Amino acid sequence: MNKKGLDEMQLQKRNSIGNQSFVMLLYLLLLDAGLYGFGFRWISYPANVMIILSLCAGIYVIRLIAANAFAGPSVKIQKPVLNVVLIILLVILISASILVIMNNAGFTSSEQIGDMSAPVLFITAAVAILISATTFVIKAKQDKDEE
Amino acid sequence: MGKNLKLKSARVAKDMSQKDLADAVGVTRQTINAIENGDYNPTINLCIAICKALDKTLNDLFWEDD
Repeated sequence: MNKKGLDEMQLQKRNSIGNQSFVMLLYLLLLDAGLYGFGFRWISYPANVMIILSLCAGIYVIRLIAANAFAGPSVKIQKPVLNVVLIILLVILISASILVIMNNAGFTSSEQIGDMSAPVLFITAAVAILISATTFVIKAKQDKDEE
Repeated sequence: MGKNLKLKSARVAKDMSQKDLADAVGVTRQTINAIENGDYNPTINLCIAICKALDKTLNDLFWEDD
């Protein structure tokens, strides 16, 4: 048995969830392109793709964790609360850094960075925080479901 | 696929928890639980590993009588 990776049931689940997430990503991008073709723009260009990608990636990770196919049998999480807190602090730090950099970048024109670039970055950070919090909740629930 | 009560009884007879057996064969506890509940059909390699850990044969644990 491979003690470093996922076990065989986890691999099956991961492959299944990955395929479903990929198909969902494909259909959402096609839907977005179709809406764009009909003249309906729910959000401007860089943000729509980022949001769809973040959504699919978030759903993929959450489903992996919910199906216990994220970490293999050899991975022992000793301090999950501390890990989640550290991840959230890291995300907040990255968000603050982005904010400072964007404010001090000295762009002469807002068109240089695009109207939606800053919101996209913050949406990404918000999704990361949401994923961390959801991960913690799911892991806590799984720990209660022993046997 | 029904529950694998033979596996569960063999595990209990050896005074092993699902976690102990999972650690012995290198899978997660959830995988052992799924096998016992009939929710997952293990590969022959995993079946052999479980049999070795429980000192049983494949017939003892995984052969379903009509």
